[in-house]
Amino acid sequence: MAQLECLNVGKNFGALVALDDVSFQLRRQEILGLIGPNGAGKTTLFNCITGLEKPTRGKVMFNGTDITGVRPHRICRLGLVKTSQIMEPFKALSVGENVLIGALYGAMLPMKKAIPETEKILDFVGLAAEKDKLSSSISVPARRRLELARALATGAQVLLLDENMAGLNPHEIDEALTLLGKIRELGKSLIVVEHIMRAVMGISDRIIVLNYGTKIAEGTPKDISTNSTVIEAYFGDKKSFLGLNEERTSHG
Amino acid sequence: MKKRFNTFLFAFIGSSCLLIAVLPFVTSSEYTLRVATVIIFWIGMAGCWNITSGYTGYIDFGPVVYFGIGSYATAIAMTKYGVSFFPAGLIAGVVSGLIAFPIGLTTLRLRGAYFAIATFAFAETMKQVVLEFDRTFGVSFFQGSHGITLPIGGHDNTFFLYSFGLVALCIILVQARIENSKFGYGLKAIHEAEQSAEISGVNTTGVKLQAYITSALFLGVLGGIQSYWITYITPADVFNVHKTVQMVIMTLLGGMGTFLGPVVGAAFLTLLSEILGTAFVEYYLIMVGAIIIAIILLMPRGVIGTIKEATGMRLPS
Repeated sequence: MAQLECLNVGKNFGALVALDDVSFQLRRQEILGLIGPNGAGKTTLFNCITGLEKPTRGKVMFNGTDITGVRPHRICRLGLVKTSQIMEPFKALSVGENVLIGALYGAMLPMKKAIPETEKILDFVGLAAEKDKLSSSISVPARRRLELARALATGAQVLLLDENMAGLNPHEIDEALTLLGKIRELGKSLIVVEHIMRAVMGISDRIIVLNYGTKIAEGTPKDISTNSTVIEAYFGDKKSFLGLNEERTSHG
Repeated sequence: MKKRFNTFLFAFIGSSCLLIAVLPFVTSSEYTLRVATVIIFWIGMAGCWNITSGYTGYIDFGPVVYFGIGSYATAIAMTKYGVSFFPAGLIAGVVSGLIAFPIGLTTLRLRGAYFAIATFAFAETMKQVVLEFDRTFGVSFFQGSHGITLPIGGHDNTFFLYSFGLVALCIILVQARIENSKFGYGLKAIHEAEQSAEISGVNTTGVKLQAYITSALFLGVLGGIQSYWITYITPADVFNVHKTVQMVIMTLLGGMGTFLGPVVGAAFLTLLSEILGTAFVEYYLIMVGAIIIAIILLMPRGVIGTIKEATGMRLPS
């Protein structure tokens, strides 16, 4: 059974159709890549799944239950969490306290259990040394890992990562990819929104492509990289580009 | 560090309690006792504001409304229904808390200035309701602008010093508990990034509402005791926006989001006004204003906030 399933999800902002008829399934322990040009609706889709936005149409099913329109903190406690594209740590709190909040509220652990759990997770993502630093004072790669740590601390089974590798250099991307692999080995499923093709192609089991709010392709990374609709969405229509020249020459 | 902090906390609270407890026995000056009572009263008031606004960053500009509601609940319970003082004080807290529930539920959806305006508007509305209710409905309940005179119980200043002291102690303990508890982390997370808090599992509405109702409850009790102390209440006095402003300024001076902040701020501002008020009767308000501005400019995080920052004193997780 699919762990997470979107059924014909649609979202309108006034007259703008941000998402239309998006359906997909996420299997257990799968890494699903979600790609698409800017404004394709990737973040809106994440927000519809995590309850930050209420879908206009369609249903979101998690472990067989309908979670459409459920409040975000409830969805988080059910085991579905997202990291934000814009990093929003609790700035005045330390790195440890940031993760602690996930453990206290997301996983609903009592303080006595939440503290060792926090330490375990900080160790896992490699932030143990930064535990007592203010979360506003750490580097960008560390903040990205902090977002992951907070998401993990909630005990969620499904993690939605919204451009968690933005702003990282190639070496840091490799490290991040290793970490995502380790997270999958914990038995968790991931949906990864990413613009860095090398990263998303390398790690995803399957990829879905959004453009103008609709799903235009779904398949293995290999299928996607040769899919003509996808190439068209990203680079424009090769034929029309060439065709324009042909027309000119033929008329000339 | 956690242990050291707790020891410090107990030492501070213990010695303050002792000081207040023995004060009536070492001084016979009614003036000293009254000033001490006023300081403790304001420590409680500012602490209530700190519980909601200090930790969440939602600037409540109408906390006085629960003080007023508490005052009237006590006054009406005592004069109309013959309830004695202690149960009447508790009724004040319960009534304030009950009214805070729907008000908090609706206003806490607003952010920033909008929340401040909504709470301010509610406080002013309640004042008008109490003023005009009797005339509008042709009844005799709130007594409009005449106000209500409470029965004089013949208690001395020491009684009120202890009563306020007990409530203020509870308010301080609630804040001290907030600093290092799950509830406190929820409030701080809301302060820093509400959406991140919500998606990390914090029931933001619930946590905000809990804080709001807690402070309303204590404000109601404080209002109840104060009305019995003053024995005469009018809407213009108990719903006065100056009380709100004073709670805000005291907390800002001492440090928002710290349990010691309201204590320091309330003691400092009350003593300052008292000392300057007797020495420079005509100009003291200008001086108090200038000093407040100076402190805000020099220590934007308040006295305790600045000390915490300077010493790097952070509570461990």
